[in-house]
Amino acid sequence: MIAKALTNWFFYALLGLFIIFLYGPMFGIILLSFQGPEGGLTFPMNGMSLHWIGDLFKEQRVGDFQGSFLRSLSLGLLVSVLTTVFSYAAGLAFRRGFPGATFLFYLTVTSLIVPSILVSLGIGLTFSRLGLETHWMTSALGAHLTWTLPFGLLIMFAIFNRFDPSYEEAARDLGASFFQVQRMVVIPMIAPSLIGIALFGFTLSFDEFARTLLSGGVKNTLPLEIFGMTTTVTTPTLYALGTVTTVVSFTVILVSLAVIAVLNRRSAASKSHGSEAAA
Amino acid sequence: MQSLSRRKLLKAGAAGAGLAIGSSLAAPFVHAQGAVTLRQFGTGVSNINIIAEQAKADLGINIEMTALDTDTTAQRIVTQPKGFDIADIEYFTVKKVWGAGNMQPMDTSRIDNYDSIVGLFKNGKLTPESVIAQGTAPHTVGFVEKAGDKGFASEETGLMTLVPTIYNADTLGIRPDLVGRDITSWADLLSSDFTGKASTLDIASIGMMDAAMVCEAMGLVSYGDKGNMTPAEIDATMKVFTEAKKDGQFRAFWKNFDESVNLMSSGEVVIQSMWSPAVTKVRSLGIPCTYQPLKEGYRSWGGGLGLSAGLEGRELDAAYEYINWYMSGWVSSVLMRQGYYSAVPTLAEEYMSPDEWGFWFEGKSAGGDISDPFGNVMEPAGAVRDGGSFYDRMGGVVVWNSVMDENRYMVRKWNEFIAA
Amino acid sequence: MTSNPTTISTGMPPRPSFWARLQGGLLALPLALVLLTFLAVPVGIVVAVSFWDYNDWEVIPDFVTFNYVELFTSRLTYILYAKTLKFAFLVWACTLVIGVMVAYVLTFRIRSTKWQIVLFLVCTIPFWTSNIIRMIAWIPVLGRHGLVNGFLEQTGLIGSPIEWLLYSEFAVILAFVHLYALFMVVPVFNSMARIDTSLLEAARDAGASGIQTFFMVILPLCRPGMAIGSIFVVALVMGDFVTVKMMSGGQAASVGVALRNEIALLQYPPASAAAVILLLFVLAMIYGLTRIVDIRKEL
Repeated sequence: MIAKALTNWFFYALLGLFIIFLYGPMFGIILLSFQGPEGGLTFPMNGMSLHWIGDLFKEQRVGDFQGSFLRSLSLGLLVSVLTTVFSYAAGLAFRRGFPGATFLFYLTVTSLIVPSILVSLGIGLTFSRLGLETHWMTSALGAHLTWTLPFGLLIMFAIFNRFDPSYEEAARDLGASFFQVQRMVVIPMIAPSLIGIALFGFTLSFDEFARTLLSGGVKNTLPLEIFGMTTTVTTPTLYALGTVTTVVSFTVILVSLAVIAVLNRRSAASKSHGSEAAA
Repeated sequence: MQSLSRRKLLKAGAAGAGLAIGSSLAAPFVHAQGAVTLRQFGTGVSNINIIAEQAKADLGINIEMTALDTDTTAQRIVTQPKGFDIADIEYFTVKKVWGAGNMQPMDTSRIDNYDSIVGLFKNGKLTPESVIAQGTAPHTVGFVEKAGDKGFASEETGLMTLVPTIYNADTLGIRPDLVGRDITSWADLLSSDFTGKASTLDIASIGMMDAAMVCEAMGLVSYGDKGNMTPAEIDATMKVFTEAKKDGQFRAFWKNFDESVNLMSSGEVVIQSMWSPAVTKVRSLGIPCTYQPLKEGYRSWGGGLGLSAGLEGRELDAAYEYINWYMSGWVSSVLMRQGYYSAVPTLAEEYMSPDEWGFWFEGKSAGGDISDPFGNVMEPAGAVRDGGSFYDRMGGVVVWNSVMDENRYMVRKWNEFIAA
Repeated sequence: MTSNPTTISTGMPPRPSFWARLQGGLLALPLALVLLTFLAVPVGIVVAVSFWDYNDWEVIPDFVTFNYVELFTSRLTYILYAKTLKFAFLVWACTLVIGVMVAYVLTFRIRSTKWQIVLFLVCTIPFWTSNIIRMIAWIPVLGRHGLVNGFLEQTGLIGSPIEWLLYSEFAVILAFVHLYALFMVVPVFNSMARIDTSLLEAARDAGASGIQTFFMVILPLCRPGMAIGSIFVVALVMGDFVTVKMMSGGQAASVGVALRNEIALLQYPPASAAAVILLLFVLAMIYGLTRIVDIRKEL
C-alpha cells in the first residue's frame, strides 16, 4: 500500500511540475506588472504600485486597448455563433451523407493544417485583386472561420459518433418534423457540447493572430495590437494585461464551477465523462 | 490614443507649455461641420501623442496616430491606400512606394514656411560648399514634375513628395559602463570584445547601410557607391555579416526603435545601431547610454509628412493646415528636444530656450539641466551633446539610407542574412 | 484515412434517399461556402501569384518561374527546412511525452471526477491568455539578468549568466512546448478517458505490471489522440513565424519567418511560391500521419 501511495504521489508531482511550467512565467510578469510608474520590462522591480493595472483602462501612449478589445470581442462572439451553427448543420449533413462529402471533409481537414500565414496572405491578395478593402468584420471573419470550423466539425463528429439515433427515430415515428426533432430531441441532448463548441470558437478567434495579420484591415484586433505593442512599448503595460486576463479567466472558471456545483446538487442525475466537449 | 492622458500633458507642459501659447495665438480654424479627423501613421519616432494633443488644441483637428515599424509603413501605403490620410515616412520609403500612385504631391505655394526649409531637402546642400553624401539623399526623391508622375524630378519644382520634418545623423549607441573601452569606429560593432552583445536593425534599407559602414571600416569590402551597391558588393557585405552572425556576434535584431531601448536597458546588448530618441529614452530610465560619434562619419536619414492620394476637399485643406502648423516651429522644438534636427531649425529656435538651442543645435555645454519633451531631466548642467554641433554632425554624414538599383536583389540577400 | 470517410457506422440507414441527400447538401452548404471563399479561392490566388512578376510596390500578372527557381536553388531554403523540421520534431517529442504523462495522471491517477475537472481546467486557463503575452512572459525569466540567472548566480551555482537561455533555439523550443502542450494533452486525455477500465483490470488479472499495462494496453488505445495532437503540434510549428522570431531575438530561422519577412517587404510572388511549397510539405507530412490512424473514425 505504501508503494502504491508513493507512486501516486510521484504522479501528482509530475502533474504539479507541469502546472508550474504552465504558470511559472506568468508569475514573473504578474510581479512585474505591479511596478511603480518608472517600471521597465525586466527584473529588478522598480517600485511597487497599481499604476500599470490602472493605466490599462486609460488612453495609451501608443496603441488602443479599448477599441481593439471591443473589435476582438464582437468578432469572437460572431465567430462563436457562426461556428456553432455551421458545424452543427454540417455535422447533421455528414451523418446523412451528401454529394461531395469526401471532398468537403478533406477540405475541412486541410483548413486546419494549412499554415495560417498562407490563409492570411491568400485572403489579403484575393481582396486586393478584387479591389476590396480588407476589414476585420469581413475578411478577418472569414479567416477566423477557416480556423474554428474544422475544430467545430471534428467535435460534432465526436458527438454524433456517440449519439444513439434511436431517439430521433422514435421522435420521427411519433410524427415530429425535421426541425421539431432538432429542437426538441437532438439539441437538448447535445446542448453542453454545443456550448463547448461556442466557447472553443470564441477562444480560438479571440486569440487568433496569424490569420488576421493580412486580413484584418486598418483597425487592429486585440492580438494584433498586442503584437504591435511588443515592439513599440517599453513599459509593463502588456504584463498588466496578462495579469488582468489571468485573473478574469480564474474568476470565470471559479464562477462556472460554483454554478455547476449548485446545479449538480439540485439534479441528482448521474455523471458521465462529459468533459471532452468542454475541451 | 487620440488624446493624451492628463499626466503626460502636464509633463509635456513642463517642457513646452509657455512656448506653446505662442502657437495657440494663431486663430483656430473654425470648422463649420465639426472637427476633421486625419489618420496619420508613421514610425514611433515622431508619432508622439503630445503632438496630436497640441494639434487638437490649436487647430481643432483630430489626429489619430498609429505607430508602425518602417517596413509596415511601406506595406500600409501600398496595400491599404484608403486607410490613411497622412503618412509620416522616410525618404527612402518614398522612393519605394511612390510608384504605387497612392500618394499625392503637395503644392509648395500652400506651405507657408517653405522658404525656411534647409537646403538639404531642396538641393541636397547643407552649406553651399558641402559635398552631397551617397545614397538616397532626400532632395533626389523630394519633388515631382507634375501630379501623377511615377518618377522624381531632378531639381526643385513646385510639387513636393514629402514635407520634410525630421532628420538626423545616426551612429552606434553604446553602454559606456559595459563596453569597457573606447569605441571609435563602425568596425567595433563586429569586434570580438562584444560577441553575443551586439545588435543591429532588421530593416533592409537601413541595416544594409550600417553593414556597409562596418565592412568598409574593417577594410574588408570597398565600395564604389555605398548608396548604390553592385550585386558583388552586396554579396561581400552579407558574407561578412552572415559569418559574424554564425559566430554568435549578435544578441538580437530589432525592427522598432523601442525594441532597441529594451535590449539596451536590460543589458542584453551593449553596442548596436540605434536611433537618437532610443538613446534619449534609455538615458531617461537612468541608464548610461552614449550616441557615439565614429571616425568614419555618420549614416543619415530624413523623414516627412506625405498625403494620401485619396485626400480631397475639406480633409485636404485640413491636412495643409496641419502641415503648416507642424512646420511653424513648436513641433520642431519637440522633435529637437528628442535629439532630432528640424527641417526649419530657425523657426524651432523661437520655441527653445537659448540654453536648449545651444545644447541641441550648437553643441555647446548645457548651462542648466536639459529636459526631454516629456519634462524628464535628461542631461545635467555642463553636458555636451555627443558629436557636437549641427554642422559637425550633419556635415559628417557620408551616406543616406538607400533604395538601390539592385534593391530587389539586396532585399533577398538581406532576408537570407536574417534567416541564415 | 484508410477507410472511406463518407460513411459513418453510427447514425442513418445505409442507403439515404435522394431527398435526404439533398437536405444533407443544404445543411453542409454554409461550411462549404465559407471554406471555398476563404480557403480554396485564396489558396488558388496564392498559387497564381507565385508565377507572377513584381517590383517594389506591386505584383505584375505574368507567367514566370523564377520565384520557384530562386527558392530551389538557394541553399538557404534547405537550411530553413532542416531547421524548421528540427523545431517541429523536438517540440513534437516534448509535447508528446508531456501530453501522455499529464493525460495519464489526470485519467488514471486522479480518482475523483471533481478533481479531474478542476485540474483539467487549471491546465487550460493559461490558454485563455494571449499567446504573445505568454511568450514575452519568458523574457524576464530567462534574460541575462533574469530570474533564472539571478537565482543561479545568487546560489553560486554559476559564476556568470547563462547566455543561451534567451534569444536562442532553446528559448524557441521552450516557448513552443509551453504554448502547444495543451494541444497534445486534450486529445490524448479524450482518448484515455474512453478506455474501458475493465480492460485494465483484465490486464492486471492476467498478471501485467503497471508499466506493462501502460505500454501494452493504454498507449496503443490512445494512439488516435496522440495522432490528432501530433497533427496540431506539427502543423502549428511548421507554420509559425512569431514564436521563432520573438524568442530568438529575430535571429533564428524558420520557413515561416522567412516567408513573413518577404511579405513584410511586399515581395508577394516569392512569398507565395514559398507558401505553396510549405503547404505541399505540411500536407505530405500530415498525410503520412493519417496513414497511421483514421482520425475521423476514432474521434
